[in-house]
Amino acid sequence: MNNQLKRIKSRIIPTIATSCLAALALTSTSVNAANGDTLKAVQDRGSLLCSGHNGSFPPFVQVTDDNKWSGYDIDYCRALSVAIFGSEDDLKIVPISWAQRFPSLQSGDIDVVIKATGWTMGRDTELGIQFSVPYFVGATNVMMPKELGGTSPETLEGGSLCANAGTSTERLAANFFKSRGIEIEMITFEKSEETRDAYFAGRCDSLVGWGPNLAVTRQSAENPDDHAMMDVALALEPESAAMRQGDDNWVDIVNWMFAATWIAEANGITSGNVDEHKANPADSTVEKLLGVTPGIGERLGLSDDWAYNVIKQIGNSAEIFDRNIGAESVYKLDRGLNALWSNGGVIVPMILD
Amino acid sequence: MTDATYKLPPQTPFLRKIQNSLFSSPLNTLLSIATAVFFIFIIVKFVDWAFLSSIWHAEDEPLCKEAGGACWSVIDARHRIIFFGLFPYEEHWRSTVACAVMITTIVASCIPWFWSAAKLSTLWLLGFCTFYLLMHGGLFGLSVITPERWGGLALTIFIFAAVSIIGMPLSIVLALGRRSKLPVIARLFGLFIDFFRSLPLLTILFTAAVITPFVLPGWLQGDKLYRVIVGFAIFFACYQAENIRAGLQAIPSGQDEAGLTLGLKYMQRVTRIQLPQAFRNSLPSIVNQFVITFKETSIVTIVGFFEILASGSAAFGTGKWTVYYIEVYVFIATIYFIFVFSLSRYGAYLERKLRVGHG
Repeated sequence: MNNQLKRIKSRIIPTIATSCLAALALTSTSVNAANGDTLKAVQDRGSLLCSGHNGSFPPFVQVTDDNKWSGYDIDYCRALSVAIFGSEDDLKIVPISWAQRFPSLQSGDIDVVIKATGWTMGRDTELGIQFSVPYFVGATNVMMPKELGGTSPETLEGGSLCANAGTSTERLAANFFKSRGIEIEMITFEKSEETRDAYFAGRCDSLVGWGPNLAVTRQSAENPDDHAMMDVALALEPESAAMRQGDDNWVDIVNWMFAATWIAEANGITSGNVDEHKANPADSTVEKLLGVTPGIGERLGLSDDWAYNVIKQIGNSAEIFDRNIGAESVYKLDRGLNALWSNGGVIVPMILD
Repeated sequence: MTDATYKLPPQTPFLRKIQNSLFSSPLNTLLSIATAVFFIFIIVKFVDWAFLSSIWHAEDEPLCKEAGGACWSVIDARHRIIFFGLFPYEEHWRSTVACAVMITTIVASCIPWFWSAAKLSTLWLLGFCTFYLLMHGGLFGLSVITPERWGGLALTIFIFAAVSIIGMPLSIVLALGRRSKLPVIARLFGLFIDFFRSLPLLTILFTAAVITPFVLPGWLQGDKLYRVIVGFAIFFACYQAENIRAGLQAIPSGQDEAGLTLGLKYMQRVTRIQLPQAFRNSLPSIVNQFVITFKETSIVTIVGFFEILASGSAAFGTGKWTVYYIEVYVFIATIYFIFVFSLSRYGAYLERKLRVGHG
């Protein structure tokens, strides 16, 4: 369940794959990568190929009871399909493993990776990858029972912390509490299932992990409401969509697809009231966003109502978050830093001029 | 041999036998009892977990946390994902029928009546075409479902069947090639076999799925699924070739030479003298390789296929079901067990059958 663990486990294969890939990227004048017009390729093909998962990674990629993909990342794949085609019927989710993400992107098996992927310098520079603006910040956090009486780091003074042995999360937590002069006993386990069970069995006072994973763990508790996240994050990872380098327009489309959901939220436009806003736009930003005055489509090579379609069919960023991760989902993760800046988060919509 | 020629050795009574083998000394008695108690304990625990204290229906999931036994609700609610992966919900009948057709084909080709080149190839051609038509669609008003939505048990069976059907003839060619009297051919085949045997399966699959699109021209690439199957089949064939070669080497060279003096052609000697005996000699290891291959199909999950294990992880990987992964894995293990156990029982049956005349 633990994100870090999963990534470490699958690190050997990516290393092989990555070195092959780096060699290939240097030698070959890559098939689809360099020639740049992903949008045209997608439109000619008639389908958008977006990343799925080999299994599930709640709450980002999972499968519903009637065998359909769902989740936070999947919703943004759907949004991208709607932006391009006006409907999500032309979206094909290709199941890929963590290790496969970048090679599959390079080989043209997929057009974009929207898969809880952190923006790192190595990926950005050595793998021939271009990242979008971060659409999610993944916070490493600590979960603790509410009965401890607080959610600040100081609450855990003299207590204990369950962590997965040998992970970066373990080191991060140790440094975090040490630097604040808080005495805490680390209890580590090899397997994330053991770590979780130990926490629920009361063998330690708190549990460290990646925020969304903690939320998934919490909802499996006997009484999820008894547990809360610490009010300070230990570390943040910006998650971005990954695309092939050298296709600026494609990067623009993905960036503005995210931005459209944020601008809609900032202006109070939801899938429910988008038609009213289109009929009576409050200001020039809304006019442009919903295609009342032209411009938003042409500059990207899309139709002028693409953002309207996205908001109408998929929703704004608040709706997407709440439905998959937040209050309306079973995971009930606080929006926290993933809220817009005006609500105390770190998401800053770009300016629509 | 008739009864008159010798007497049977005196029979030990059953109870006496048990006494001799299990309770012959105080230490033995102690060990026997301890082992028996241990196993009974485990069995009782398991039966209680799996059957007595378990919850069976999806809607009873809230009871699972107190029940203390298995929560089969997860299977009740999510078994369609395990069986069909991402196959569209309304079209599950197609996947079911396709699976049934493929299993029937496999079972039928195990029956000796089908064992001629003509019958076997017709059977497999029919089975494969029906399977493909049902899964892929596009004809007779069936909607097209591309391989990235295939999954679950159907995909596992498809990969296993395809690998076997491509790999088995290839392995015979490789084994014969390696034993060729022409040194260049023998060396080349040897090199080919040893090259692929020295690579891990994972590397081969990863190369087939991810790296080949960079190297091959577009028209030769095909779907990722078929590239992976070809890679897997080559890997399978190289191992199977060595099993068959072991069987071939066990045949005294005099037999082949006798055939030669009788004026039999190469193909006749191979099909009538060498291969039948080679199969009999190395049957256990050939069946073994099939068993290993069936289980190894789960590796394709790493190149993004939704085979049964990945489907299992998708089945428990959402909301309230995340804690019931043990139930899902037990369920999948049972499916694997049914297939692998039938395979090995069939191998045992074949061994008995082929032993005719061998004493």
